[in-house]
Amino acid sequence: MPNLKALLLKNIPDFFMPNTIRFVLISLLCILFQYSSAQTKRTLSGNVTDAKTGETLIGASVRLVGSSTAGSLTNAYGFYSVIIAEGKYEVSVSFIGYKTTFKQVEISKDLRLNVALEEDNQLNEVVISATQKNENVSSPQMGLQKLSVREINDVPVLLGERDVLKTLQLLPGIKSAGEGNSGFYVRGGATDQNLILLDEAPVYNASHLLGFFSTFNSDAIKDVSVYKGGMPAQYGGRLASVLDIKMNDGNRKEFTAEGGVGLISSRLKVEGPIVKDKGSFMLSARRTYMDLFFKLSSDSSINSNTLYFYDLNAKANYQLDDKNTIYLSGYFGRDKLGLAETFGFNWGNATVTLRWNHLYSNKLFSNTSLIYSNYNYVIQNMMEDNNFKVNSSIKDFNLKQDFDYRLSNDHSLKFGLNVIHHTIAPGKLSADENSSVNPTTYEDRKGLESAMYVSDEWAVNDRFNVVYGLRLSSFSLLGPGNFKSYDAEGNTISSQYYGPGSVVKTYLNLEPRLSASYQLNPSASIKGAYTRNVQNIHLMSNSTSTSPTDLYIMNSNNVKPEIADQVATGYFKNFNDDKYEFSAEIYYKWMQNQIEYRSGTDLRGNGNVEADLLYGDGRAYGIELFLKKRFGKFNGWIGYTFSRTERQFDTLNEGKWFYAKQDRTHDLSLVGIYKASPRWTFSSVFVYNTGNAVTYPSGKYQINGTTAFYYKEKNGYRTPAYHRLDVAATLEGKPGKKMQSSWSFGIYNVYNRQNAFSIDFKDNPDDPTRTEVVRTTLFGIIPSVTWNFKF
Amino acid sequence: MKKMNIYKGLGLIMIFLFTACEKVIELKLDDAAPVLVIDGGVSDQNEVQQVKISKTYSFTEPNKFHGVSAAKVLLSVDGLSSIVFSEVSPGIYQSVKFKGKSGSKYELSVTVEGQTYKASSVMPARVPMDSLTFKSYDFFGETKNYVAVNFRDPAGVANQYRYILKFKGVVEKDVVSEDRFDDGNKVTNVIFYELNDLIKGDSIQVEIQCIDRNVYRYFYSLGQNSGSGGPPVAPANPPSNFSNGALGVFSAHTSSIRTALIK
Repeated sequence: MPNLKALLLKNIPDFFMPNTIRFVLISLLCILFQYSSAQTKRTLSGNVTDAKTGETLIGASVRLVGSSTAGSLTNAYGFYSVIIAEGKYEVSVSFIGYKTTFKQVEISKDLRLNVALEEDNQLNEVVISATQKNENVSSPQMGLQKLSVREINDVPVLLGERDVLKTLQLLPGIKSAGEGNSGFYVRGGATDQNLILLDEAPVYNASHLLGFFSTFNSDAIKDVSVYKGGMPAQYGGRLASVLDIKMNDGNRKEFTAEGGVGLISSRLKVEGPIVKDKGSFMLSARRTYMDLFFKLSSDSSINSNTLYFYDLNAKANYQLDDKNTIYLSGYFGRDKLGLAETFGFNWGNATVTLRWNHLYSNKLFSNTSLIYSNYNYVIQNMMEDNNFKVNSSIKDFNLKQDFDYRLSNDHSLKFGLNVIHHTIAPGKLSADENSSVNPTTYEDRKGLESAMYVSDEWAVNDRFNVVYGLRLSSFSLLGPGNFKSYDAEGNTISSQYYGPGSVVKTYLNLEPRLSASYQLNPSASIKGAYTRNVQNIHLMSNSTSTSPTDLYIMNSNNVKPEIADQVATGYFKNFNDDKYEFSAEIYYKWMQNQIEYRSGTDLRGNGNVEADLLYGDGRAYGIELFLKKRFGKFNGWIGYTFSRTERQFDTLNEGKWFYAKQDRTHDLSLVGIYKASPRWTFSSVFVYNTGNAVTYPSGKYQINGTTAFYYKEKNGYRTPAYHRLDVAATLEGKPGKKMQSSWSFGIYNVYNRQNAFSIDFKDNPDDPTRTEVVRTTLFGIIPSVTWNFKF
Repeated sequence: MKKMNIYKGLGLIMIFLFTACEKVIELKLDDAAPVLVIDGGVSDQNEVQQVKISKTYSFTEPNKFHGVSAAKVLLSVDGLSSIVFSEVSPGIYQSVKFKGKSGSKYELSVTVEGQTYKASSVMPARVPMDSLTFKSYDFFGETKNYVAVNFRDPAGVANQYRYILKFKGVVEKDVVSEDRFDDGNKVTNVIFYELNDLIKGDSIQVEIQCIDRNVYRYFYSLGQNSGSGGPPVAPANPPSNFSNGALGVFSAHTSSIRTALIK
């Protein structure tokens, strides 16, 4: 076989690929050849589920007792596959929070073994990790953080609204984009550089109510993983991170309902079997009712206002036979704001995912997904003389084919392809005849984003594990439409019409991915990773916060794909019988083709927005420390991040490097959860971070008699440091009743810290000769109470 | 201008919900070395035209015009005649009375402390203003009164407007709009300066200017910094039409002034 490798290396023409990449590809090919010919071993495969609900378990560990390497983790659909020689074995199946189950098997042919795990009630303590006991140490994957829904539910949050995105922001390397903001920054990335997937469907705007709440209702969520680096090759399309959220499948055994009533919203989830043990459904809904308070008013200018959002998650699955399962899942959410008869504004996401799991063999698992994803907003001005309506949307049709191939005990292969068709309608402005506004439609933009990937998880020996892979991504901007090119000053230099379906511009990129671990001893390892990520779709927002009207644009003649190269290394250690988990990771990241704006850019209905864009480089580096107590009456974690994020643009800040707005030096979060008794749980969160980099005046002057400010350095100042302490308590109802209920009490910002939401500079209204600095605080101390039930 | 309503509305909702709290705080800001600022214009009225030259000063100092004396200020019209501005008080430079002309290109050259700063601006065609009217809106049970400017925008050309609202001689609002969304239509643009505290007999003065594209962009950017017309953006010095790093703007514009009396 080595000869074959040499032969291939010599004879495969090196198109565009560097030698290292060619080497990786050919090595993969050789592994394939090697193992497809060696068929003496048998396959043990199956599904791991929760015995009570039939819900599949993701990341459960299946191991052969007495063997250190032979084993596997279940994939996103609860499927595992292990290759072993014929013989008698004891198989252990374990998952945190469940009783480890042992099965005796005799392997003389390929065997299907489905295992249902019982929840471990005897522990009767808060179980904090969804990962296998020392998976964090032994896995070659780095830069990965996982959160269990239990953790999300126990951590105190604003107004008692459980929130995946806000709990994630308490982990090192993941930073909040601002007070009460569900946007987040990962390792120096901007908010639009996170790939947010809900059952594989990209979610474009993951926030409600201008960012105060995220679109993810934790009732409907089974698994949350976030990759800060070392992204496996099956993910792509965004620069900074991948947030992979999977919805619950629904109880396959019996019908259950649960819900909650909170200060600003209520939730309800129902689930149950469609056909017992064959299929199930889950339906979860949430709606806020702040606007119901308006209705209490007798004043028509108040009670005719609307302000609410809702989320609806629905999922159904059906197992056709041993080899085929179908899943259909959807998310629909919308925010609605309305000011009486004058103004309306609504926005939301809709995603639909249809999936087919198929087992080609006990070794080859396939998933085919058809995904539809839509984000849109509508603004309506109803004032008689300048009434108008703006519609804008981004629509994706997405086909994904993924294969998991268990090649041998040492090699586990993933490969597949993905094609996404994007349609961006930047805006359609309509108005009636009496309006002063002219109806206008801005040209739709269409693009085709496709990718092929292959990745191998290779257990080189007992100590050394590696995941390496390659992703080939391409992006084509498609007609119809008029496409302009601009010079460095933003002047149009050419304009050309392209017909429907014709290709305006194509970009092709190779993204190598590598993550490796070396186990120093059973409880400690060092890891390293190199990742290249490419981003072809960009969110244009020149505001300091995110807004539902932010504009998406794709690569074009002017806009090039954003590229990030990241190297990272880390030390991982568990101690005290895996009770404690510690990690330290260091990263450095180079970014190309980053985007900023000229000053005075107007993004509203701007058909020539690309004329106002500037392109430059970025760099980010940092260290992340994480210490977590995973079990026991008391558990929780400390996360600390030191980081730097900078950008360089020839025409900004005199061409010198400046801090990106997401730059923050220190970020500290402490999370503690204490299970005081079977009924009482207390929890607390403390966060501290350095202020964001921001531009403040370094002088002032008069223009036409009013005060204007002089800005010297871009982002040369810091907002005041941010810190806050939250506490919460949960009282579970008496056990044994048919209906279980619980009360959650919370206090946000216990010591009423006046954190700055914004800092404004203005003349004193009473003494116009003086200029003042005015700090706006959004949330002082805020209590909350929520009642939850389940039956 | 129109979308102002939207953000005002959203802002009100947020305040209603969370009763945001504002407080004046101390913040340490750098004192940058003073930079030259030129604020000049030529109008289509037969009047003394004025150029103001000053320097930036420390944020903590009282607001005051820090005039720069002994500058050489020259204006050329369509590359021909040169008009010399003379200093009447520190930093204030004036021409003799003359009337600017639509379509003419005005070039201003300012030489001070051995450096020359140049800017040019083309005076746009004049758009006749019809009237000022009062407008009121209900925001959460409170009626707010504003003044609106009415005119017909000429079709087929890009127009930019600047509105300077003065009350008791003090500039209270200085905003711009363009006709990107309402080209050729009868336009009613509301100036969001609250008139509720004004009493009977008070009058407000609104000057409406037609300005060129660069001047529009300058004032649009200046407005963005203070958060008017949309969500707050990362602030930056507005794009000046002066060369050599001077702040400020030179604007050749048409001007009409209307006064509204509170009854």
